[in-house]
Amino acid sequence: MNKHLANVNGWTIGAVLIIILLFLPNVSIVTGVFSPVSENWAHIKEFMLFNYIKSSLTLVFFTALFTIIIGLSLAWLIAQYDFPLRNFMKWALILPLSIPPFIGAYTYHGIINYTGVIQKTLRNHFDVTPNPAYFDIMNVPGAIFIYTLFLYPYVYMITRIFLSHQSASLIESARTLGKGPLEIFFKVVLPISRVSIIGGASLVVLEVLNDYGVVKYFGIQTFSTAIFQTWFGLGDLDAAIKLAASLMGIVIFILVIERLLRGGKQFSYSTTKVRPLPLVRLKGRKAVFATLYTVVIFSVAFLIPILQLIDWVILTYGKVPMQDVLFYTKNSVIVAGLGAFLVIVFSLVVGNFSRVVNHKFAKILPKLTVLGYSIPGVVVAVAVITTFIALDRFLAPVYQYLGMDSELVLSVSLFMLISAYVIRFFAIGYNSIETGFDKIGTDFRDASRMLGANSLRTFFKIDVPMMKGAIISGFILVFVDILKEIPLTLILRPFNYDTLATKAFQYASDEKIMEASQASLLIVGVSTIAIFVFHKLLREEPK
Amino acid sequence: MKKSLILLVVAMMLVLAACGSTAKKENGTEKDAVAKKPEKSEVNLYTSRHYDVDNELYKKFEQETGIKVNVIKDEADVLIERIKREGTATKADLLLTADVGRLYRANEEGLLQTVSSDILAKQIPENLRDVDDMWVGLTKRARILVYNKDKVKPEELSTYEALTADQWKNRVLVRSSESVYNQSLLASFIEINGEEKATEWAQGIVNNLAQNPEGGDRDQAKAIAAGIGDVAIMNSYYFGQMLNSEEPEEVKVAESLGVFFPNQETTGTHVNISGAGVVKGSKNADNALKLLEFLTGEEAQSEFASANYEFPVNQNVEPSELLKSWGDFKEQDIPLSALGENNAKAIMIFNEVGWK
Amino acid sequence: MFMDIKNLQFSYPKSPLNTVDNFSFTVEKGEVISILGRSGSGKSTLLRLIAGLEMPAGGAFTLNGKKMFCDKTFLQPEKRGIGMVFQDYALFPHMSVEENILFGLPKMSRKDKKKRAQEVLELVELIGFEKRYPHQLSGGQQQRVALARALAPEPELLLLDEPFSNLDTDLQVKIRGDLRRILKKAKTTAIFVTHNQNDAHALADRIVKIKDGKIEKIGRPCDLLGVSPTEIPGMVEITYEELIGV
Ligand SMILES: Nc1ncnc2c1ncn2[C@@H]1O[C@H](COP(=O)(O)OP(=O)(O)O)[C@@H](O)[C@H]1O
Ligand SMILES: [Mg+2]
Repeated sequence: MNKHLANVNGWTIGAVLIIILLFLPNVSIVTGVFSPVSENWAHIKEFMLFNYIKSSLTLVFFTALFTIIIGLSLAWLIAQYDFPLRNFMKWALILPLSIPPFIGAYTYHGIINYTGVIQKTLRNHFDVTPNPAYFDIMNVPGAIFIYTLFLYPYVYMITRIFLSHQSASLIESARTLGKGPLEIFFKVVLPISRVSIIGGASLVVLEVLNDYGVVKYFGIQTFSTAIFQTWFGLGDLDAAIKLAASLMGIVIFILVIERLLRGGKQFSYSTTKVRPLPLVRLKGRKAVFATLYTVVIFSVAFLIPILQLIDWVILTYGKVPMQDVLFYTKNSVIVAGLGAFLVIVFSLVVGNFSRVVNHKFAKILPKLTVLGYSIPGVVVAVAVITTFIALDRFLAPVYQYLGMDSELVLSVSLFMLISAYVIRFFAIGYNSIETGFDKIGTDFRDASRMLGANSLRTFFKIDVPMMKGAIISGFILVFVDILKEIPLTLILRPFNYDTLATKAFQYASDEKIMEASQASLLIVGVSTIAIFVFHKLLREEPK
Repeated sequence: MKKSLILLVVAMMLVLAACGSTAKKENGTEKDAVAKKPEKSEVNLYTSRHYDVDNELYKKFEQETGIKVNVIKDEADVLIERIKREGTATKADLLLTADVGRLYRANEEGLLQTVSSDILAKQIPENLRDVDDMWVGLTKRARILVYNKDKVKPEELSTYEALTADQWKNRVLVRSSESVYNQSLLASFIEINGEEKATEWAQGIVNNLAQNPEGGDRDQAKAIAAGIGDVAIMNSYYFGQMLNSEEPEEVKVAESLGVFFPNQETTGTHVNISGAGVVKGSKNADNALKLLEFLTGEEAQSEFASANYEFPVNQNVEPSELLKSWGDFKEQDIPLSALGENNAKAIMIFNEVGWK
Repeated sequence: MFMDIKNLQFSYPKSPLNTVDNFSFTVEKGEVISILGRSGSGKSTLLRLIAGLEMPAGGAFTLNGKKMFCDKTFLQPEKRGIGMVFQDYALFPHMSVEENILFGLPKMSRKDKKKRAQEVLELVELIGFEKRYPHQLSGGQQQRVALARALAPEPELLLLDEPFSNLDTDLQVKIRGDLRRILKKAKTTAIFVTHNQNDAHALADRIVKIKDGKIEKIGRPCDLLGVSPTEIPGMVEITYEELIGV
């Protein structure tokens, strides 16, 4: 028994504490499953649930499929080949992530609707009035289109980092065995990157499940719709939470299935001789095709919506109050930076725990923290508020002792908002960090300990530097995600604490997409700078 | 390289921490100020109104009274839930919503306290205040019909109910039932005509829809211009905004459409209000009252009217030129709280008839 | 007794049989021991147990009078003073050759550390390669860096897991000779694992043959294997597998 205790060290304690903290607010939701059925339940079941689940599943399935196809193919192209514009595309292809999907939806609808630039130009300059049905994206395929465009970078980013650091000999040996590129892709690349593909795609799936902005605007009824109709419409929050809890149940189910399917097939990388994959230079038609493919994706997912946003900023110039823009931007950067930093630190602790304590429980437990990411943000927000108010009540004697006159301290501070971000986006950071740990395996760690370095030194000197890519990509993902986060920010912020996202929402929710363009563009701008800076940092590491 | 990365992160953390602490300090000083003179310095708003004009008015109020206005903006239901959970400890003094149904709900939850003063009574007509003085109206919006001037003669239009007739098959446009404005509309019909008639109406509209409900109110107007349908139900102020859009094409669309106030001969056009109530347990209730008096005063009301194309509640204030050009109209004559009372019922009807 | 292992037991989770079964043996100071066995026979596992990278189910192990583990204690690997050369070297890819070597050195002045690094680099004949990164080295060079790195902290015991398996034959023979010279010069007690009887023959003072996690035979190379085939001109080199298969 003593021997088992040898493994229970600081990591375990830290990790378990973090997981409990992350999980605490979710408990109030999970217990919602067992709350008594309200009188609305029969109605919800008959008219909402089953119909809405169908469209949710359709959205989830096709979005996952298309994001994997696009994300993986781009990651493979960039990781293995050299072609014109590759170095730019390497980081630029992440940029669509900086556009909140609902802003993307508004923007694309803005471009192609009746008064949008396409139909307008056709009508006014070419005297063509096309059938408006061709320009309708407010339907399920349209939503899949929007989600795919603005979410594929999750798959792309995580998979690319994995592939480009993948031991070259693996691919080279496949090549020497006389396999063509296609065969290598399907027989080698696909299986070994499975973990990272699933990691990226599961983020996409959760994002689609918890999104409400796009489907509400498009008039598509999904599981989110059912939750909101029940809460906002029927005024029955308990039933709404019950629905959210069932959604969590479905997600747990999927997670378990995924684990079972993966079974013992944990890919360990049989060599520690990590060497960057030498790029294959494409020539002629192949090079043109590769460049064209990336350019098309980049344009559709980023350039075109951005141009439209810029156009609107110019159009509404002077109409939107500008004086506080710096204030919002600063606020956004502060909360996103702090939130992302904490998520990464926590992920590293939990990830290391999960790797070191080689137990099934230690592998599955952290996965449960994704639950906070599977349901609409507002429901999480309610859970967080409840938790923090309870915390404030608990701490009331302390406040009194300190001479504070207010009963609510934590729950009216930035602390609550940052905590909520950590709870919500932990899954994103963790996914990236887990992939990183997966990739480096335990051999270097063993080697380091054989050289007399303890767990902590090994962590900082070996694990962290070797996982720089994963850490940075995790940070960017969370940073950008917080920048564009809306429901938590709206309700959990302190008074007067506007951010770029809340500003964008303020206008967009009132159908003023043109006025929302300024804040949206700033979100994109800040994200772009962050992505670019970190890309530079990554590139300067020794070859 | 490694070092510079660490330096960068550390530096960033320091900056963030510094910013964070100043932000908290600001809060701190505010709190200290409250501690000394709780009734003087500030008023805390939870609002679901998202308009720039509101911010302008708060600033004006601050200048005139020295009372600082602190704001959190979100959806009304979320704000209500937050107040509910905060209980008597809540910092919120005033709840503003863009729909009377939500005020009704907040009141049902016991979150509001009575608000009345001579000034309010003078500035706001009785029918736009709660019978128990739990909330007051700030602005009005009408849910009107717009139509394709080429294909529809105004004489063909009469009432909301008439849109369910066969002649309108595949010609009616309206957004989804998730819109609170549609919920209020149906709730008013439940009040006026009873549940059965209201269900028939909703079913009739669904049967005549030109396309699945999608987009916002403005999109319905555009769909007429695009030839998808001929008549749409939308809020008056969205139409006002389109007429004054920065995008010339939107103006063109709006100008090509006619405006019609339905049910003039019968029950009146549906009107919803944006309103406010003082939160129970408010620590700055006097300031909240002052703000309400200010917002329903003539100066603020004409701002609402001109900047946002809303109808003022203050009778002494003229609507904007545009709204005046649409002429006077007869409003539904029902207690506004009925819109809140029937809201859940309306949702159920929408679901039952398959109004997406 | 310098090193003493008694009744070592270990099995991987879910595996029905003990991967290492009732394993006992002793080593004298300065001895070079070779563990010889088919692949899958539990050699690496045994090394990892000695290193402290796996937790044994039972048994006891003392090194130079210190308890490494027994019923009550389990010394963490970094506290054991044991060095290890991994099968695939596990050189830290983000560190240069010199940084790799410096990493394992105990607390001492920067100058002393550099000096020690130079010493071991000299030992493995890699002076001038300090600033290279692992992927810029050949397999043989990587192997020697791994050896230098493991030797630098002057471990009481050095473990080597199939150190030649990634090298071509010519290099194998040369490095094998080098290794013996280096080990003897540094007076290091070493246990190395191999499946190749030539390696065992050329390097070891004593050989432990294992099969399915159990000791089959212990003895001096000439007793166990006879004359090394490579020492007789014209004789082909055969592997242990082939030998067993006869
Ligand atoms: N991590 C592990 N989990 C389960 N079984 C393992 C693991 N590592 C090795 N084994 C099994 O233990 C046995 C001994 O392995 P190992 O010590 O690596 O053999 P050798 O080094 O002699 O080739 C083999 O049957 C192998 O399949
Ligand atoms: Mg082995």
